[in-house]
Order: sequence, then structure tokens, then C-alpha cells
Amino acid sequence: MKIIGHSYINPRGAFLNGQNVSIATEENYLKKYFSELEIDYPKFYKMDLLSKGSFLGDYLLRDSYKDLLHVENELQFIFANSSSSKETDIRFIESYEIKKNPSPSLFVYTLPNILTGELAIKHKWFGENIFFILTKFDSNFFIDQIEMSFLRGNEYCLCGWVEMKGAPEDECFMFLVAKSEVVNDNLSNKLNEILNTYRNE
Amino acid sequence: MSELKEQLKSQIIEQLNLEDLTPADIKNDSPLFGDEGLGLDSIDALEFIVLLDSFYGIKIEDPAAAREIFHSVDSMADFIESKK
Amino acid sequence: MKCYLKYGAIISPLGDSVEEHYSAFFENKSGIKKEEKTGFNAENLFLAKIEGLGNSRYDTLLKQACEKLIENYSSSFLQNPKTGIIVSTTKANLAAIPLDTFESTRKIIDEIIHTFSEPVIISNACISGVLAVNTAADYIQSGKFNQVIIIGIDALSDFIIYGFQSLFALSNEACRPFDKERKGISLGEACGILVMKNTPDEDFNVEVLGGASSNDANHISGPSRTGEGLYRAINKTLERSEVSKEEIDFISAHGTATLYNDEMEAIAFSRLGLCHIPTNSFKGYFGHTLGAAGIIEIIMCMVSMEKNVLFKSIGYSEIGTTETLNIISENRKMEVNTVLKTASGFGGGNAAVLLKCIQ
Repeated sequence: MKIIGHSYINPRGAFLNGQNVSIATEENYLKKYFSELEIDYPKFYKMDLLSKGSFLGDYLLRDSYKDLLHVENELQFIFANSSSSKETDIRFIESYEIKKNPSPSLFVYTLPNILTGELAIKHKWFGENIFFILTKFDSNFFIDQIEMSFLRGNEYCLCGWVEMKGAPEDECFMFLVAKSEVVNDNLSNKLNEILNTYRNE
Repeated sequence: MSELKEQLKSQIIEQLNLEDLTPADIKNDSPLFGDEGLGLDSIDALEFIVLLDSFYGIKIEDPAAAREIFHSVDSMADFIESKK
Repeated sequence: MKCYLKYGAIISPLGDSVEEHYSAFFENKSGIKKEEKTGFNAENLFLAKIEGLGNSRYDTLLKQACEKLIENYSSSFLQNPKTGIIVSTTKANLAAIPLDTFESTRKIIDEIIHTFSEPVIISNACISGVLAVNTAADYIQSGKFNQVIIIGIDALSDFIIYGFQSLFALSNEACRPFDKERKGISLGEACGILVMKNTPDEDFNVEVLGGASSNDANHISGPSRTGEGLYRAINKTLERSEVSKEEIDFISAHGTATLYNDEMEAIAFSRLGLCHIPTNSFKGYFGHTLGAAGIIEIIMCMVSMEKNVLFKSIGYSEIGTTETLNIISENRKMEVNTVLKTASGFGGGNAAVLLKCIQ
């Protein structure tokens, strides 16, 4: 397998393949990145933090998708985080406990895998998807899942660690992996290196 | 009427958690639903039903029939006026 | 490498053993009943609620199910380094909010089952259970584990009830999947545990032939009008299993009893030429139990295969989808060898798995 692209978003900056593409100082950094990228996608405003983060992380990767064949069926989403949809869960609880009106538009985002639905809709991709809850980013876990996905017949995996709950340590790390004949023993180490470099930027 | 429309826009932003938008981003006559305009859908229509009830005391029994009322800020304001 | 499923444990309003569930299903007993003042505006809702769980419903339910599991499996099996564990849940212990809602899951499993490896938690809405079984099969086929414990669990909460109410998705009577008069979902709570092994037992075995998932790429909460994702998930499952659709004896559908979900499933089954195959939804017995649904419904598919009986789809009397399906209207004795289990859920997800009985 081969990593063919990666992106990273946190409250301080947005990055693509190791390069800084935007710097943020304001609180609403996701809105800033969205407007800088000049994307026409009004649904963005309705999304929760998880979907917004992964939507932007995915958009940054757009050039990596260009030459891929069969992505609509053979690309699997493998996503994970540690706190599920906690930020939206709390807001939904507030909608019925404080505002006395359970909000349907919040309730539909109280599942972490909604972000994979948003990405599938955006691309019109019908492939497999799965969302895991892990205590922390675990590169070996992702590599295992990717290997098993390729064994099942998929050709690409779009993976993401999307931990966004409105905190300074929020981050959305995404990487696109293609099936290849090249045996790469150190992929797990490489993933950790990439993420650590981003985290220290 | 224009005051009502501005108020409606703030309420839409509040009710639908669109805090990245300002009232100026919403045009009076552009469609709220579908891929144009705000890209709202049937779940958001349910929020509008809550909005009309909690802010204007108007009850809508059939979510499906409300689609025309919720077409745009203009049509929502007309509807609210007609119920006064 | 082949994968075989064994019963682990099952707790629902209908009982706390496979035998109790078999007799309840044989008598077409439903776990759904009217619960006073459970709605947001104190409405009386129809729920499949387990008695005696108290306030920490999720934790208590998980503990009870884990205790049942260790009655039937040795510690050397459960604590083996080659034994993996997967948990399928949508909301876990919601009562912990704002703290970690998944912490108690890990703690309870560690204290009672004491597995060598950390639980892998799948939270992928209503298809989590079927995905968990497919993921377990991947682990066995890759050789990472020789056996995998698969837990499916969700408990009732105000959060879930008010959420589905806000979507106008709840029925004002016990749910009626695929029926003309269906009005929506009845929510439920349950915990099911399956054990997957790479070697068959001497008695009864259910082999996992293959599975797949697919996204509708259409809407995050509404079912696709064309059944696209479910169609593709089933197609891929058939391809990967190398099974022709003529071999399927029974379909355990998702069947939540909302207007749109059941219609979507009927369209997908029709596009695949599966309408004539006996089909039911177990939601009339258990209600919709979210992360537990796939697991407890697969357990009941295994009961169907073991006892050679197809269970009536309760709540159903007349077809209410545009495509006519063969919904099972009475319990019936029949040899059940090959079963297709499907699930669909929020986020546009669909999943399917094919099971085969090896006597």
C-alpha cells in the first residue's frame, strides 16, 4: 500500500502534504478555511464540527483523487476518533433540557459516522464506510483496517482521525491510501511521523 | 414587513444552528431548500415548524404541506402576516 | 480461513437466554409495550424496555450480558491473546456526558471478560452490528485473531427517544414493519453477544460467507428513494460470498417500519430480484435497538437455522410497499440453510452479510 496524500486541520492552520496552506488566529477557523477555498457548498453551514473538519480535509486532498479509477465503488472510508459526536450530543441535550425543543437538525448529527455520509454525498461515492472509537490515534490499527479492506477487494482507503469538539487540541488528520504491489513495512511509523510533524507545526 | 423578514432570518440562523452565516447572507427571495440557496432539506422543514410555533404561535400539522410556505423568507413572511 | 458464529448471550425484554427468546418468538410474543409518560411531552410511547435496569441502564445491561457470556466460555478462551473483541454501539453510556461515554464499556469488559486485547468499538449508526460481524470475519481471515467476541448494545434514554420524536419517526402503536398501516419506529434496548471462531464445533455451526457495506451517497438521515446503497451492499455480498441469489432461503430485513425505510428496502430487494424470498423484520419483537439490532437479529437468524423455523414478522398483515414482498405472516417449519441479513441507517450506510448453516 502507498500513501498518496494527506491533510491536516487544526485551530492554528490547514496543511496539505506537509505544506501549510492557511493560518488561523480567529475562533471560527473552519469558516475561514472554507471561505478561503471559495467552495460553493451551502450545506457546509449546517454541518457539525466533525463533518465540517473532514469536508475541508477532503477538499484539500482533491488533486489526489484526480487520476484514481473506480473510486465511486472501490474507495472505503475508515474514520475514527475518541469522543464520538460529543459536541453535538451536548448541544442536542441543551435543545431539550434548556430550550425545551428537541432539535431534529442537531439530532441527525449525533452520530460520528454522519461525516462519512456527507463525504459520500459530496463525491457521489457508494463505497464501504466504517467509524471506530479509539482512545487515541493508533497508526497500527489503521494499517490493519486498510489491509483488511484491500483483502476484501477495495482499491483505496480514505482514512481520518477527526477529533473535533470545540477545544484547542481539535484536529482532523486525513490520509488517502492506494493498494499497491510495493511492500512498505514502515507505513505505520511513517503515519506517526507525518502526524507528529503536523502536531508540532 | 421588512422588519419581520430580518427577524425571521436571525431566527432561521438560530434555529438551524447556522452560526457561520449572518442575516445578510440570506436573500429574501432565494430558495431556502434544495441545492440552490441555503441547501436546506426535510429535517430543516421540521425545524421551521418548531420555529413558527415557538416564535409566532402558528401550528402546522402536516409537514409535507408546508413546503410552499417555507420556499423563501418572502413566502414565510407572507404566511405569518396572513395569520395575524 | 472460514469463520463460524456461535451464540454468546442475549438480553432483551423477551428474556436473557437464547432458549427464552426461542420460546417467545415461537409464541410470537413482542417485547414492545405501552410505557406511560415516556415522551418529551409526557406522551405514552410504545417501547421495548427491559425491567429492572435502574438508572445506569447501559452499564447494568452490559454487565449482565458479560456475566452471561463468561458462564458459557472458559477464561482460557476469552483471555487468549488470539481472542479479539468488538463492540457495536451508537451511544454507549450517554449518562456519562460530558465525560467519556465509552470509558465504562472498556472498564466493564476488562473487569468481567478480562480480554487480552482492548475492545474495538464501532459506532456507525444502525448498521454497526452487521459491520461488527463483517469486521470480525476480516480479523479472522487476516489471521490476527482466531476468535472474536462481538457485543452489540444500546440502552433506552431520553436522548434517543426525544431525538426520534423530533424527527416524527416514532409510531403511536407497536411498530408494523412493511405493513400498509405502518406509522414508524418503536424504540427498544438490548444486548447481544456473538462469538466467531476459525474452527467449527461438532454440533451446530453458522458460517459467515461474506459481507459488504455501501453508502447511498444521497442524504444523511433520509433513506435513498432508489435503494442504491442497499442494492450495492447486497450485490457485493453475493459476489464476495460466491452465492447465487437462488440459494437464499430467508432474508432478515432491517424493517424499521418508517414509511420511507421499508419502501426503500422493498425497492432494493425488487431491483435484485429477491422479492419472492421469505422475509421478515425482527423489529416487531425487539423494537429498534440501534447498535444492538444487527447482533440480536443475527442471533435470531441462527435460531431460525438451528430450529428450522421461519418466524412471523409481527405487526404485519397487508403489504404496504409499492413492490410486493414475501413477508412471513405465520411461523412456518422450513429448512433454513442460507440467510441474508441486511441493515440500513443514518449517514446513508447500508450493510449486508450472508450466513450459512453447517450441521
